[in-house]
Amino acid sequence: MGDVTCELCPRYCTIPEGGAGDCRVRVNIDGKLVATTYGRPSSVHIDPVEKKPLYHFHPGSAVFSIATAGCNLHCRNCQNWQLSQRGGEEMERIYRAEPADVVDAALAENCHSIAYTYSDPIIFYEYVYDTSVLAHDHGLKNIFVTAGYINEKPMRRLCQVIDATNIDLKAFDDGFYRRNCSGSLKPVLDAMVIAREEGVWLEVTNLVIPTLNDDIATVRRMAHWIRDNLGEQTPLHISRFTPHYQMRNLPPTPVESLHRVWNEARDAGLKYVYIGNIYGHKSESTYCPNDNTRLIHRVGFSVEEYNLTSDGRCPVCNQKVSGVW
Amino acid sequence: MKSRNRISTMRRRFLALLAVFSGSLLTSRSVATGKQRQLSLHEADFYKPHDLAG
Ligand SMILES: [Zn+2]
Repeated sequence: MGDVTCELCPRYCTIPEGGAGDCRVRVNIDGKLVATTYGRPSSVHIDPVEKKPLYHFHPGSAVFSIATAGCNLHCRNCQNWQLSQRGGEEMERIYRAEPADVVDAALAENCHSIAYTYSDPIIFYEYVYDTSVLAHDHGLKNIFVTAGYINEKPMRRLCQVIDATNIDLKAFDDGFYRRNCSGSLKPVLDAMVIAREEGVWLEVTNLVIPTLNDDIATVRRMAHWIRDNLGEQTPLHISRFTPHYQMRNLPPTPVESLHRVWNEARDAGLKYVYIGNIYGHKSESTYCPNDNTRLIHRVGFSVEEYNLTSDGRCPVCNQKVSGVW
Repeated sequence: MKSRNRISTMRRRFLALLAVFSGSLLTSRSVATGKQRQLSLHEADFYKPHDLAG
């Protein structure tokens, strides 16, 4: 028996027999690539869709959210490192949950969707795929919350079975990815374009970290790239950093920095720019890009007021708002 | 990557040894084989507050 090469993500790990890929959970057993966390999530929660965050996809709906151990990125600021930077054997909890069990539980709890989230679901790809197919058979939607560090072929295939994705664009700077995440930028940009091309509802998150990715010229390039490659209707979530894991030396993002980034993104022409991780901020809400009517009033992850028409328009000026309503 | 794998194996053995000394043969076995007790999905509290991002 020999080595196997995992072709799922841009790392292309060559895995010796008995060894694991960089993600810790995709292993070579007897010359075969095995996803060890298939059917074995370590985190299972029901969250509002706003937490993913998705603001233009069935607002206020409940999402059955699962994750297994492992990740193919190693971000120094990972908020979920106890899940993502561990192998399955290191987890305190592991649930037995085959795709049918997940779908049954999601239906029993009246969830609208299943989200593959928290760690990076790329590394439990087969589990995501099979569960998604079954979920569709039962009328559930699928949400993929990811950093988008995946190869083109598996991404296109996955897009056939998922309905919405939030892709975390960590910085519009390859050096940032290399220094802080042990990844690279290009595959992430490609994944976002693929999601758009394949008709998956896409929202983008950018966590603003003081001194590391808050340079305004870089932010401007990011906003222009999103506008030109994904469209001005793409929601962008500008999120506040708080110190975690191996990045406790930096302070939480000052609110003024978030406002600067928000202004830059709006100046670039992006229609729906949100500020996240600041409870009660007015930019948690959705406004009409035409007349600024407040269309969806959010406080934290809660929808307080919903004014869109049933076909997703502003009730005042009839402006169509992009999304899946 | 090789060194990561080696560390992981060593760590697993260390944890297994630790578990033996702490008196749990079951834990030591499960850690050594990478198979800890697996819970049924019904044992999960889906609504328990958590601080995971995403
Ligand atoms: Zn309007």
